[in-house]
Amino acid sequence: MGKTLFEKIWDAHVVVEKENSPSLIYIDRHLVHEVTSPQAFDGLRMNNRKVRRPDLTIATMDHNVPTNNRGLPILDQTSSVQIQTLEKNCKDFGIKLFDINSPNQGIVHVIGPQLGITLPGTTIVCGDSHTSTHGAFGALAFGIGTSEVEHVLASQTLWLEKPKPFEIKVEGKRKNPHAVTAKDIILSIIKNIGTSGGNGTVIEYRGEGISDLSMEQRMTICNMSIEGGARAGLIAPDEKTFEYLRGRQYTPKNYEFLVDYWRENLKTDSDAKFEKNYTLHIDNIAPQVSWGTNPGMTIDVTESVPSPEDFAKGDQNQKKGAEKALEYMNIKSGTPITEIKIDRVFIGSCTNARLEDLIEASKVVKDRKVSPNVKAMVVPGSQMVKKQAEELGLDKIFIDANFEWRESGCSMCLGMNPDILSPGERCASTSNRNFEGRQGTGGRTHLVSPVMAAAAAIFGHFVDVREMDLN
Amino acid sequence: MKGNVIKYARDNIDTDVIIPGQYLKVHDYAELAKHAMEGLDPDFHSKVKEGDFILSGRNFGCGSSREHAPIALTHSGIKAVLALSFARIFYRNAVDGAFLLPIEIDQDAYSDIAEGDQIDIDLKSNQINNLTKNKTYKMKPFSDIIGKIIEAGGLFKYKPD
Repeated sequence: MGKTLFEKIWDAHVVVEKENSPSLIYIDRHLVHEVTSPQAFDGLRMNNRKVRRPDLTIATMDHNVPTNNRGLPILDQTSSVQIQTLEKNCKDFGIKLFDINSPNQGIVHVIGPQLGITLPGTTIVCGDSHTSTHGAFGALAFGIGTSEVEHVLASQTLWLEKPKPFEIKVEGKRKNPHAVTAKDIILSIIKNIGTSGGNGTVIEYRGEGISDLSMEQRMTICNMSIEGGARAGLIAPDEKTFEYLRGRQYTPKNYEFLVDYWRENLKTDSDAKFEKNYTLHIDNIAPQVSWGTNPGMTIDVTESVPSPEDFAKGDQNQKKGAEKALEYMNIKSGTPITEIKIDRVFIGSCTNARLEDLIEASKVVKDRKVSPNVKAMVVPGSQMVKKQAEELGLDKIFIDANFEWRESGCSMCLGMNPDILSPGERCASTSNRNFEGRQGTGGRTHLVSPVMAAAAAIFGHFVDVREMDLN
Repeated sequence: MKGNVIKYARDNIDTDVIIPGQYLKVHDYAELAKHAMEGLDPDFHSKVKEGDFILSGRNFGCGSSREHAPIALTHSGIKAVLALSFARIFYRNAVDGAFLLPIEIDQDAYSDIAEGDQIDIDLKSNQINNLTKNKTYKMKPFSDIIGKIIEAGGLFKYKPD
């Protein structure tokens, strides 16, 4: 029987494998950031261990860095300590660090691919659940906890229980690809498979609806695999993948040799079997908006907020969850999505803050002004994205419309730096999680695509961007 | 393992409510524990006692890979989380760091066990005894792989056979 792409990558990285025991898997790339690494380095020191492969370990600071006034000292003491700790750890253990002043600084999942550190067929880990993003390049990439970070630092390996392969086919063509985006595809998938639908699996996204996507759009898809419960999501590499990585700062010297190998080997065999299958047809999908407090609580922009009964379809826990979500979000069942007014707009995060995202959003914003009741900000995914966007004049478009234009970082996606919602504020956000308090205590998050967020900023409420001219 | 149950009868308890993002900068575990479950239940810290268990629905611990989530619960005194299912990163973190036991239960146990019930978890027979209601439920046994890591006392102590 043939093998899936995931199984091929897995098999190529097995150090030790025995039935009914964990498998020891070799790790090709370890990405490190300031929040989930300090205790891991402490552990190394305590046990008098070194970093096994500092050359395969790359660090940056993204989670709690300020996104403005970078020249000034960081006011938040605890953030400042965490940042200094990462600097010291990288220095002590000989790890390359893109610090707050580096032109390569940015959200770890944005800079990996941009620098050519992310490569097809590799295993990539990071102490961050959105590591699944790198799967867009045909890598097996997943988030780990701090104990596991320490294990990888010490040994460049990890004990794992082998996940099951899950095929998600995306079929058809979007009628308006500027208005219906990769974000709408992945939110539609999560809405259908549920937030635990992918538990214990590695998803492979396949089909015309995936191969049609650009690399940046594919990253948006793989990024949110974890919101569907999967450990990782990946897409077989193709010519778009090879072209994207060619000639980047850390792309290997023998790149064309590698491309030949990848082209031949990194694909699922026609007779391979998946443990699970799901197919989404995208010909008629609409822009998506989340109404509740997990990414599965999502509907079309043309719909109204469901009743807990309709959402739950007979499941008591789902009904309770929906009731609690409506209360937290302070919205009523039956409210049309387009009547929901918003206070804040956040265009950013490892899901949707790449150059294409900003280009698409800027088309909505150009020659318009942010609604007077809305505070809106753009936080580019990396300093490199920021620079490229500025070269295209996008900063001017956003600033002229009264958006704030910031330095890169995770920012308002998870409320670790000063960019947070006030209690009760409602935000149209291009990030990945609408959990209670995620963007700040009492803050209310609606997940949308960059064009939907931009349009919400202009109109002060959600609108169906298919009705706008985005070409 | 005997203790009392704190029940959250809902699905999808995420790591952002178990320990909100602003506390990921806190390195003192006792301090971290003070904010456990703060996003969902601000009274948790005052009511939790050493040896207690949490009981919840499906997909417990979904979201972020923050190990701070099982750490905050463990340092609050929680010895095990009983849930219909777990998000995998939380599950792995709980086991790998030897923080708390993630125990999968069935619908019967989930519906029947109430807040405040005293239960006794018997890992040898994979049974949960409800001492308050004088009833017994089955728990899902740990897989061989997970069992071996738990037995070793976490990822760093695990050695292959």
